[in-house]
Amino acid sequence: MATETDRRWTNVAAVRSRASRWFSDIQEHPFFWILPAALFLGVFLLYPLVEAFRMSVTNMTLLDPTDYSYVWLDTYVRIFESPDFWGMTRVTLIFVTASVVLQLVGGMILAQAIDYGVNRGLHGSIFTRISVLSAWVIPGIVIGIVWKIMLIETRYGVINYIILQLGGDVVSFLSDGQMALLSTIVANTWRGTAFSMIMLYAGLQQVPDQLKDAARIDGASPWQRFRHVTLPLLKPVLFINIVLITIYTINTFDMILALTGGGPGRATEVLALYMYFEAFERFNLGTAGAIAVVMLVVNVFMTMIYIKYLLGEDEF
Amino acid sequence: MAALDIDGLVKRFSAGDGEIVAVDDVDISIEDGDFLVLVGPSGCGKSTTLRCIAGLEEISEGDIRLGDTSIVGRKPMDRNIAMVFQNYALYPHMTARENMSFGLKMGTDLSKAEIDSKVEDVARMMGIEDLLEKKPRALSGGQQQRVALGRAIVRDPDVFLMDEPLSNLDAKLRTTMRTELQNLQQELGVTTVYVTHDQTEAMTMGDQIAILNDGKLQQIGTPLECYHQPVNQFVAGFIGAPSMNFFDVTLDGDSLEHDAFSYRLSPETLENVDDETTRLTLGVRPEDIEIVDEREPNSFRAIVSVTEPMGSSTHLSLAIGDRQYTATVPGDVLIAPDDQITVTFSEENTHLFDAETGRAVKNREHVRPDTEVQV
Repeated sequence: MATETDRRWTNVAAVRSRASRWFSDIQEHPFFWILPAALFLGVFLLYPLVEAFRMSVTNMTLLDPTDYSYVWLDTYVRIFESPDFWGMTRVTLIFVTASVVLQLVGGMILAQAIDYGVNRGLHGSIFTRISVLSAWVIPGIVIGIVWKIMLIETRYGVINYIILQLGGDVVSFLSDGQMALLSTIVANTWRGTAFSMIMLYAGLQQVPDQLKDAARIDGASPWQRFRHVTLPLLKPVLFINIVLITIYTINTFDMILALTGGGPGRATEVLALYMYFEAFERFNLGTAGAIAVVMLVVNVFMTMIYIKYLLGEDEF
Repeated sequence: MAALDIDGLVKRFSAGDGEIVAVDDVDISIEDGDFLVLVGPSGCGKSTTLRCIAGLEEISEGDIRLGDTSIVGRKPMDRNIAMVFQNYALYPHMTARENMSFGLKMGTDLSKAEIDSKVEDVARMMGIEDLLEKKPRALSGGQQQRVALGRAIVRDPDVFLMDEPLSNLDAKLRTTMRTELQNLQQELGVTTVYVTHDQTEAMTMGDQIAILNDGKLQQIGTPLECYHQPVNQFVAGFIGAPSMNFFDVTLDGDSLEHDAFSYRLSPETLENVDDETTRLTLGVRPEDIEIVDEREPNSFRAIVSVTEPMGSSTHLSLAIGDRQYTATVPGDVLIAPDDQITVTFSEENTHLFDAETGRAVKNREHVRPDTEVQV
């Protein structure tokens, strides 16, 4: 009896030892350590990506997602031949270019102002930073709604009320095509400027004070100091900032959906919104997938520039 | 080129609710073409003084005159000064040529050809004509320093301001550049204010040195005046390496009483000491401590704790009483740690300071540098 128990315990010990060895062997393998991240990325990023690509070469609709056939590049040909797509691309280009330029200029002015304030120990620089940053952390959908309230086209809208008080007329901020696009750009700039400000302010901290002093002694005016000393030294940060905010702006969707819903007409329908409407209003999953792939290509291209620049960063 | 006069300079910085006085009523006059070294420990106000002269800081009180004209309130560019910074402050994105010509482009109406010609002349003088198309990161520390100096020279200023320009160089290059800088300054004859915390640089480079502490000017004079006749204990301790030894003593009759020894003073020295002053600090330079026979008057015993052979001389760390002191003896004297030796110093080489105020009561005789040498 005692022998039987002993043998059982010996077997258990052997199994435990083998398991422990197997576990320690597997720990040696890098695969073990990247598995959680790989699983996460695979399920939540790679699978949807592959699925979107697969959809893009089908004629799948949301009305009956199981009934579809592979049409391969037909969807892409149809998109590129569609005047709608080029209309949306034009709107996206205007929206992205104007937003990026305004965010850069606004971010630079704010960063310089805060840098000036901090260097001179002025009160309020922390308050300014917190105020600007708060715009950045608010979800896009909330920003859309807040700006919609601000831009209400009656005397009760905050901005129209001010315009009326100043003696002007009610402005059609959201029902006029061009004004709606402008309003969308302003709201997006209001949100995104904080990011540029943080990046550029960090960049400004890297410019040695001695260089600014040397330029003052060399007789450079404040503008010349900015143009010839600060700006060239900010170039790496500026470049990375441009790439990042371009990517963010191309993908902006939530704020525009809440603010204008892409209207009036299709005046503010950017590609991201176009993709959403194709999928969930017009139920064309195939077309939506193809637009997603086109946007993905643009984003990958921007990311490649970003990575190439980061890897080969030149510190003069 | 012009003389520089600093008159009652005060610079205050606001800090929280109060104020910090960085420079406190400093008066300095520099003759046209002279080399003045501002020296002192970190935070003594020497760099702030320099920045006030440059116009990089607004002054709180006082006046700064270049020649006969006050330059207070003028922009840095309008003061016709050039500055060399500790980290060279070369614009990293510009070539050496662009760095040197930047000031001329910004501040003058000279044509490109004239600027190029000036830059090339100075580059030739500095021996950096081959480096003109290189960016700072491709240059060594010494080469960057030459470009920084060239940038200052090319503007043909009335005054050179140098803020610890050699502190980033290695020891050997620093010594070479020290000599080069002096030669250059003498050749150009431009009034120069040089800031350093290194008293060796101060002693070797300046026609005059001004010693600052806590924003106050302690002493201004030739290096040997400051070395041999310090006005107070701070200057005595700051100038000279290794530093002067200070013994806390009390005057009892005609002798100085220390925990470890008694030192009898001559009537001439006693005349200088105020009758009411009994607590004094005796100052002796390490090289003035001699090893003597134990029967020698005014001698006392010391235990050698550490020896530092320097070749031509050896620094000894001596335990006298419960404190450590330094003596410098000739390099051929063989002494080992833990040896017991008898030392003394001659009275004419000693300094006495009031222990309360630090003011010098008695200094050693100053060796005049103008003593004629027979060749």
